[in-house]
Amino acid sequence: MTEKLRRYEKIDFLGEGQFATVYKARDTETDSIVAVKKIKVGSRAEAKDGINRTALREIKLLQELKHDNIIGLLDVFGHKSNVSLVFDFMDTDLEVIIKDSNIVLTSANVKSYMIQTLQGLEYLHFNWILHRDLKPNNLLVNSSGVLKIGDFGLAKFFGSPNRIYTHQVVTRWYRAPELLYGARLYGTGVDMWAIGCILAELLLRLPFLPGESDLDQLTRIFQTLGTPSDETWPGMTDLPDFIQFKPFPGTPLKHIFTAAGDDLLDLITSLLNVNPLERCTCDQALQMPYFSNKPPPTIGSKLPLPMTIRKEPEEKPSLKRKLLESMDGGSLAKRLQF
Amino acid sequence: MAGNFWHSSHHQQWLLDKQDLVRERQHDLSILSEEEYQKLFIFFSNLIQILGEQLKLRQQVIATATVYFKRFFARNSLKCIDPLLLAPTSVFLASKVEEFGVTSNTRLITTCQTVVKNKFNYAYSQEFPYRTNHILECEFYLLEHLDCCLIVYQPYRPLLTLVQDVGPDDQLLTLAWRIVNDSLRTDVCLLYPPYQIAIGCLQIACVILQKDLKSWFAELNVDMEKIQEIARYIINLYELWRTYDEKKEIQGLLGKMPKPKAAPQR
Repeated sequence: MTEKLRRYEKIDFLGEGQFATVYKARDTETDSIVAVKKIKVGSRAEAKDGINRTALREIKLLQELKHDNIIGLLDVFGHKSNVSLVFDFMDTDLEVIIKDSNIVLTSANVKSYMIQTLQGLEYLHFNWILHRDLKPNNLLVNSSGVLKIGDFGLAKFFGSPNRIYTHQVVTRWYRAPELLYGARLYGTGVDMWAIGCILAELLLRLPFLPGESDLDQLTRIFQTLGTPSDETWPGMTDLPDFIQFKPFPGTPLKHIFTAAGDDLLDLITSLLNVNPLERCTCDQALQMPYFSNKPPPTIGSKLPLPMTIRKEPEEKPSLKRKLLESMDGGSLAKRLQF
Repeated sequence: MAGNFWHSSHHQQWLLDKQDLVRERQHDLSILSEEEYQKLFIFFSNLIQILGEQLKLRQQVIATATVYFKRFFARNSLKCIDPLLLAPTSVFLASKVEEFGVTSNTRLITTCQTVVKNKFNYAYSQEFPYRTNHILECEFYLLEHLDCCLIVYQPYRPLLTLVQDVGPDDQLLTLAWRIVNDSLRTDVCLLYPPYQIAIGCLQIACVILQKDLKSWFAELNVDMEKIQEIARYIINLYELWRTYDEKKEIQGLLGKMPKPKAAPQR
């Protein structure tokens, strides 16, 4: 275990969340840059519970998942309740990109991010896994412009009819109306709704429905999209926390997203359908005209990145050094490999 | 368990072959005979089963715990960790992975103490020696030796589907289900995919109940040779059980078992 601690050299502090602290580190065995997520040990009672459940959930799911648009779990090390997870290093995330006023996001850029997100999510849903916490902050982007879905601490298998789920998932602004109404049986729709909110945020460069409370969240949803009725959302009134809202007519989406074409508005409309059963699925979304219409999505290497992130891989100097070293001592054949 | 079995770590990393098992067990089998080795694993599977039942866990969780236990020792000698510690640790980890509520460590230890004292006093004359910190230390060790592969597919779900296809038959399902439980006392969960185990168990159940499903089996698109191998393992177990008195033999076997060097510290 101790050799693993030594294997990863801490380079930088990246951030801190509720459950973990994340560091940038060098994997001395492969000489690559990785992200090390060190799970916090909370109370003594929590320490007694052994390996943290959130971490365990991430480990068990990510161990089974391999996809370009899903964060890769590379290693796990630690001791007793003190667990660290080693992930692909990702330079930034969509939240940073959206908030960076120096970055211009073209419609081709937005399309690229959406395709990558939907492909990753399609793979998850195909494997019967709900992410349940999609938000720009969990859509990680590396310097090659590859987007990967991260943070599986809340993810869960779905599809067992007898399993009751908690509705207290998904950061409020991205939470689907059925969750806000306390639904305990839900499906891929909760992730699709979040994708709709993220798409809207990519276009507006501001959170689309920044509710201040759960009630305010519902108000904003209905003010924007119109209050659903029994016809537009059958079964709504049976949900545990249902409350009747006054009928808002809703704002036409083309007044909100003034620069968006009809194909894009169609996509937003089907992602943000208040009735979860009518909301589109990942493969339906990816089949929509928006993704085959012009402009084509930007290729990864051309996607805009915050200025602090150099596009060149940081290892360049050390790679050069290695090259020189190998030229000194290595045989000709070895040199040619570089 | 949902997900995709064909792309799972279970299918890709944890279907071992017979030769692997023979090689990895070489050390233990230089001390114990193959039959003695199997008897010890039957004993510890029973221990896990009873622990799980006392903790009111579902059979799925108990089965997962048993597979963790067997996977660990498929790669390690019995002297690496006392199986009496690894058994409750497997139960602890499985109950967390299967999202089965909260089994507190304190309750686990208390249950171990009562179970060892009341149900297994024919095997252990002393009380259960381990405490929370041993379990916690062991948990990580287990996770590491499982290569972090935590999702285990079990034969129960395919069995339900198969029996439904045969035509609902409660007697058949109950018996086949019990045979699946028994199969955890053999190596089949390390060697064959769960759907094949389910078919093998179903076949034995049919023979016992004299239910003729020959044409139904013939139409299954499955390697019947594998099914026969599985059935052989399970029938061997039943034959062993006929003459084996655990209560008489287990103390001797536990004494003979290779052990870790250091005794647990209190």
